[in-house]
Amino acid sequence: MIEFTHVYKSYDKNYILRDLSFNIYKGEFVFITGPSGAGKTTTMKMVIAMEKPTHGQINVFNEDISAIQPKQIPFLRRKIGFVFQDFKLLINRTVFQNVALGLEISGVSGSIITKNVTEILKAVELYQTKDEYPLSLSGGEQQRVAIARALVQNPSVLIADEPTGNLDFETASIIIDILKSFNNKGTTMIIATHDKTLIELGRARVIDITKN
Amino acid sequence: MISQKINYLNNYFKIAFLNIKSNIAGNIFALSIMSFSFFIMLFFMLSYINIYNYMLSFEKNNTMIIFLKNTNNKNSEEAHFNKVRFNRIIASNIINKIKKFKGVKKVKYYSNKLSYKFMIKHTPKIKSILAKIKPAYFPKIIKIYFNSNYISKIYLSNIYLRLKSMRHIKFVYYSKLMEDRINQFIFFTKIIGFIVLMFLFISSVFVSYSAIKLIILRKQNDIEILKLIGATNNYIKIPMYIESGIGSVFAFILSLILLFAIFNIFIYYRFNNFLAFFKINIIFLSSFDVFIIFFVALLSGILGTYFSSRKFF
Repeated sequence: MIEFTHVYKSYDKNYILRDLSFNIYKGEFVFITGPSGAGKTTTMKMVIAMEKPTHGQINVFNEDISAIQPKQIPFLRRKIGFVFQDFKLLINRTVFQNVALGLEISGVSGSIITKNVTEILKAVELYQTKDEYPLSLSGGEQQRVAIARALVQNPSVLIADEPTGNLDFETASIIIDILKSFNNKGTTMIIATHDKTLIELGRARVIDITKN
Repeated sequence: MISQKINYLNNYFKIAFLNIKSNIAGNIFALSIMSFSFFIMLFFMLSYINIYNYMLSFEKNNTMIIFLKNTNNKNSEEAHFNKVRFNRIIASNIINKIKKFKGVKKVKYYSNKLSYKFMIKHTPKIKSILAKIKPAYFPKIIKIYFNSNYISKIYLSNIYLRLKSMRHIKFVYYSKLMEDRINQFIFFTKIIGFIVLMFLFISSVFVSYSAIKLIILRKQNDIEILKLIGATNNYIKIPMYIESGIGSVFAFILSLILLFAIFNIFIYYRFNNFLAFFKINIIFLSSFDVFIIFFVALLSGILGTYFSSRKFF
């Protein structure tokens, strides 16, 4: 499903990733780990074509990311849910509107949007806050909104970059439970984290990018 | 597929209205500047149309008017009787000469009294003013009607020169001469109008450009998020085009209403009597003229959005 083959990434001749190779298969729950600055976020960004490798090949859904046409990138991103460390929610839109964004972008009808968003908000236990704005929510709630937004389109893969970075242990375990439940339904989960507690909670395959 | 396109369209309008709502002050400012530009454009168009319309009235009417010199004014009745007789003799001499010209269809003589009656008949709105003037003060006129095929400038100017050289003739006016003069005026109106139109068009594009650029800069973070979750460039750009389109249309409607109001209030009610004296009929813009300016307005909005979004996408 996702295949990194001898990937190098450098900024101004300063290599962040050297000879990174790994495979992630359909339905897996994988942690990508390494210390801060090791290139976890860059690795995640390369999956959704936010960054391109300096050398090497990345295949996502059998598509070569280094050769992908700019016009094809939005359609690739619609197949992959991405949860950012800083949530990246639109502050002038309600929780419901934020979660609905992905479906609106895909041209889904209003009735289906309402149905799907309601379902996902109930799944992440945020339905009661659907009319609130992100800034009125706690960090954990904002992260759950971001997860709901990433999952509402029913993507094949969900990538989460430090999803519990700013959260306490209790909230982090709730987030991991949510991610696990969706993984059990078939969504491939890729979590980038340096938090060892989270990895222990997740009990899943770990790819340490510093050792590749 | 069609339902998906309708959903997209629905979303585009929703986003466009959200954008407008989020920048009300900026949009009102842009709207007022654009309205002013479109108003000037419409005003120029209105002026041009009316000058052109005035010129057409000369084109349709292929006539020549000769003003005869007044003979000495003596107050005795005998002198007056002699004067009238003398005038008729002069007029019939001139008419006989004119009738020999090629292409003359009809010649009509208006004595002082007849030209007075003519004025009363054709300008009823100033009848009360005319009633106070003695008929003797009105000019003696000979009106020549030409066949429609005798309209060449050389032919008419030749007759004009021949008539002007005759005794007892004071002035000669003919429609083609007026038409040429108005044509020259129209030429300058066109050049000045074009320059003004271009200037206003560019300023409208700039206003639209600035309004959209402001939105892009303010919403850069939102745009980045939308792109990360799979929005295409079109998904981000089309609402901006709709937004500037809505702005242009509103500004255009506002300027048209303003022009219509001014046209009716000031020109129609205040000056119509005055203009009627000169037999000038003022007209409002036709739907085609309005459409031209509407198109220019819409184009300025679209171009402004194109230039502002080109840098970012």
